Amino acid sequence: MANPTNNEAPHAAEHAHGVGRYFAVWIALMAFTVITVITGHQEWGSVNLPLAVSIATIKATLVVLFFMHMTEAPAANRIVFVVSIFFAILLIIGVFGDLWTRNEMTLPSAAPSTEGPEISVPSERLGAPSVPDSE
Amino acid sequence: MSSSEAHAAPGRGEPNLAHHFETQNQQDGAVRLGMWLFLGTEVLLFAGLFLGYTVYRNFYHEAFHEASRHLSLALGTTNTIVLITSSLFVALGYHAIKQGKEKACAVLLVLTILCALGFLGIKSIEYAEKFREGALPGKWYHFSEITAPGANLYYTVYFLATGLHAFHVIVGMSVLIWVLKGVLKGKYGPKNYVAVELGGLYWHLVDLVWIFLFPLLYLI
Repeated sequence: MANPTNNEAPHAAEHAHGVGRYFAVWIALMAFTVITVITGHQEWGSVNLPLAVSIATIKATLVVLFFMHMTEAPAANRIVFVVSIFFAILLIIGVFGDLWTRNEMTLPSAAPSTEGPEISVPSERLGAPSVPDSE
Repeated sequence: MSSSEAHAAPGRGEPNLAHHFETQNQQDGAVRLGMWLFLGTEVLLFAGLFLGYTVYRNFYHEAFHEASRHLSLALGTTNTIVLITSSLFVALGYHAIKQGKEKACAVLLVLTILCALGFLGIKSIEYAEKFREGALPGKWYHFSEITAPGANLYYTVYFLATGLHAFHVIVGMSVLIWVLKGVLKGKYGPKNYVAVELGGLYWHLVDLVWIFLFPLLYLI
């Protein structure tokens, strides 16, 4: 803070583009929204999730780069944001590394059926009202 | 954002330089960095929710699929379009104030705020429907159409994620109303637009979160 010369240039690049760029980004975002709605309702099995997340990532990148002007932001600001995304991805990788390598017994799908008669918890507490006519 | 309450009131459209900064550029740079830091923490906040969603979806794939088909795709898509368009408005408003077009900026901010209200209105219609059906989180779940184990968890995640997002919409809208007040008072102009910029950044983040929430909750 003592050194005023370490500041970035007064955002000269910001004036390089007009409003056209914002409209172009908006049109692209709308187009991707249409694509994700159409493809999202196809029953393509395991393709659906990666496809939807990829389209969302493209849309988010467009918003960050152009609406949020990250293309013009100084390096320090970019690093802060990119690092937070990096750690979010690290969190997901860590948790999934655990999930995919677990002993099957410890997964909820391996637990005793919630509809089994030996369960003593009232059925309305399980989120799976096996006897709806009791209400 | 709040570091500029030091000296005598500046003139119309003039920035207020706090005493601990040497130049306006230095102050603006620090303010922007602070905002990006905050946005980084917001990303991490929502990352936790997304992680919870993915883990439970992994466990209860079928129930999550079935439950997601039960949301209104029409309302969800409309809200996506509303938010994306509001992001355009706020970006254009930022562009306008940088060129000194105060009136255009005010109009665009009003349009953004109206979009925010529209989003909340549509969201409340969806919530009312879920309350009526009993597709609610935790022990309040009594939706008879989907009884698969895990559907309950889907609606817990749904209400938590969209609820936290709706809260961000309300906060973002309040910030933009505050910015609009400043624009109408003539506080901002080509030399002083950081507040408009940061309000816009926050609003774009609200849009960003929805860009991921929409496909994960409505389409998968």
